[in-house]
Amino acid sequence: MEDADSNGALQSLLMSRSLSDPELLAASGTAPDYAILPEVSVLKIGGQSLIDRGRVAVYPIVEELAEAKRSFQMLIGTGAGTRARHAYALAMELGLPTGVLTDVGAAVSGQNAQMLGHLMARHGVPVVGDTGFGAVALYIAECGAAIFAGMPPYDMWQHVPAEGVIPPYRTDAGCFLAAEVYGARQMIYVKDEDGLYTANPKTDKSATLIPQITVDELIDMDLPDLVIERPVLELMRNARHIRSVQVINGLRPGLISRALRGEHVGTIISAQ
Amino acid sequence: MTTDPTFVTKDLVSVFARQTLLDRDLVRQPDRPVVRLLPWLNVVTLGGRSIIDRGVETVRPVVDELRAAMSEHRMLILTGPGVRARHVLGVGLDLGLPTGVLASLMSEEAKQNGHMIAALLAEDGVSYLSHTSVAHRLAVHLSASRAVVSNGFPPYGIFEFPPAVGKIPPHQTDAGAFLLADAYGAARTIYVKDVDGVSTSDPASENGGGQPELLPRIGATELLAMNIATLPIDPIVLELMATAKHVKEIQIVNGRTPGNITKALAGEHVGTIIHATRDLPT
Repeated sequence: MEDADSNGALQSLLMSRSLSDPELLAASGTAPDYAILPEVSVLKIGGQSLIDRGRVAVYPIVEELAEAKRSFQMLIGTGAGTRARHAYALAMELGLPTGVLTDVGAAVSGQNAQMLGHLMARHGVPVVGDTGFGAVALYIAECGAAIFAGMPPYDMWQHVPAEGVIPPYRTDAGCFLAAEVYGARQMIYVKDEDGLYTANPKTDKSATLIPQITVDELIDMDLPDLVIERPVLELMRNARHIRSVQVINGLRPGLISRALRGEHVGTIISAQ
Repeated sequence: MTTDPTFVTKDLVSVFARQTLLDRDLVRQPDRPVVRLLPWLNVVTLGGRSIIDRGVETVRPVVDELRAAMSEHRMLILTGPGVRARHVLGVGLDLGLPTGVLASLMSEEAKQNGHMIAALLAEDGVSYLSHTSVAHRLAVHLSASRAVVSNGFPPYGIFEFPPAVGKIPPHQTDAGAFLLADAYGAARTIYVKDVDGVSTSDPASENGGGQPELLPRIGATELLAMNIATLPIDPIVLELMATAKHVKEIQIVNGRTPGNITKALAGEHVGTIIHATRDLPT
C-alpha cells in the first residue's frame, strides 16, 4: 500500500511540476530499478591500446573472447584509436566544433567494430549497428555475444569541453552507459596497461599501479593523466546499476576470462 | 610488458598520437577559434507543454508567425514533447526502466510534435528532419527551404546520462536545442514558452506581498545561484552555457503574445535574455 501511495505521489508530481523540480526528481528515484540484461558483461576493447596493434594483440583477444563466450554473455564495445586522434588533430586545426569531431570519432570506433566483427564472425558473433540495439537481446540469446561501436551517438549534440574541442564523452563513456542502461553484470575495460597508474606509465617511469580506488579518491587525487575518460567517473557516481568497473591488461593472456569470473586482476574503480 | 618489441602499434602521426587525450596540458588549444558552421541560423524551440499542448488557439498564431518570419530568417524549429512525455515517463518509471530507455520514450513524443508542426508548414516547403539529417544535411535542407522542423530532444537515447538525483533524463529539449545551436554556431537561440521570461520568486510575494519581478537580462551563473523554483528553462542549459563556444546568449519569449517571436528574431529585446557569465567584463 505504501508503494501505491508513493507511486500516486510520483504520478501527481509528474503532471503538475516542472521536470527539473527537485521534489519530482527525488520522487523519481524511488521508482524500482529493473535490470534489462543482468547476465551480460560489457567489455571495451581499446582502440589505440589494442586494435591499432594489429594481429599480434588482437588475434589472442579474439580467441579468448570466443572461449569466454561459452560461459559468459558479452556485449563487446570498441574504442577508436590513432585514426581518431589524427582526425581530431586535423579537425581542431580547421576550427571545427566538437560535434563534428564526435562524428569522426564514431566512424573510427565503427571501423574497429567492423574489423573485430569479421574476426569473430566464425564464432557467430554479430556487430550491432546504429539501430540494432533493438535486437540486442536476440543476438545475446542466440549468439552469446555482440559487438558494438563504443562511441555514444551524441554527434552534433556532444557536450563541449571547457578547453579545446575534443569530445569529452567518448568510447569509455559509451561502453559504460551501455552497461548501465542494460543493468549489466559488470563493466570491464580491456587496455594495454595493468590498470590505473599514478601517472601515464608509458611516459613516466615512476608511475605506480593503483589496484583499487574509489571514484571520490580518484577525483581528489586529480591526476594529470588517466587511463579512463574523466567524465566516466562522474557517470559512475550517478549510476544505479554499475557501481564499479575494472581496467585490465588485454596483452596478458587469460585476464579477460578471469575478470569475467569476477577476479580482481587489474584496477577496480568503485563508486561510493 | 608494454615495451615488448613484438608489439608494434600502427600509429598515424598527429599531435595527439599515443596520447590518452586526457592529459589536460596536451589537449589545450587556447588561441584556436572554432568556426561557426551556419552563422545565419536561427534555432527556435517550441515548448511542448507550454505551447504545443495548448492546442489550436496557441499553436496556430505561433505557426503563422513562424511562416511570416521565413522570408526574413532561416530557421531550425525544434519541438518539445509535452504532457504525453510525462505520461510515458510515469509508466516507464513505474516499470522500473532505466533513464536511457526513458529518454528514448520521451524523445518519441517530441518527434511527434515536430511532425505536427512541420505538417502545418508543409505548404510553405517546411519538412520534418530526423536527427541524422539535422546533423549531416541541415545546410542543404536550409538552402532548399527557409525553415525545417526537428526533434528538440538530443539523440542520446539509451546513452543518456544517469542523473545525479532520481531517474529523469537530464538532457531534454532545452539542452538538445542549446547543444545543437552551439555546434552550428547559430546566430540566435530562442525558446518560445508560455511565460514572459524568467521571473524572480520575490520572497515578499510568498507572504502575499509584491509581484514576482521579470528579469530582462541575467547571467547564467547568477540565475543558477538564485535557485528559482519556476525556471522556464531546464537548469542544465545554464550549466552548458559555461563551456559553449558560440552561443553566449539565449532568449526566452512568450509565444502567446503576438509579435514576440518576430521581435526576437529581429534582435529586439523581448522576454528574458540569459547570457554566459564568464565573458562579461567584470
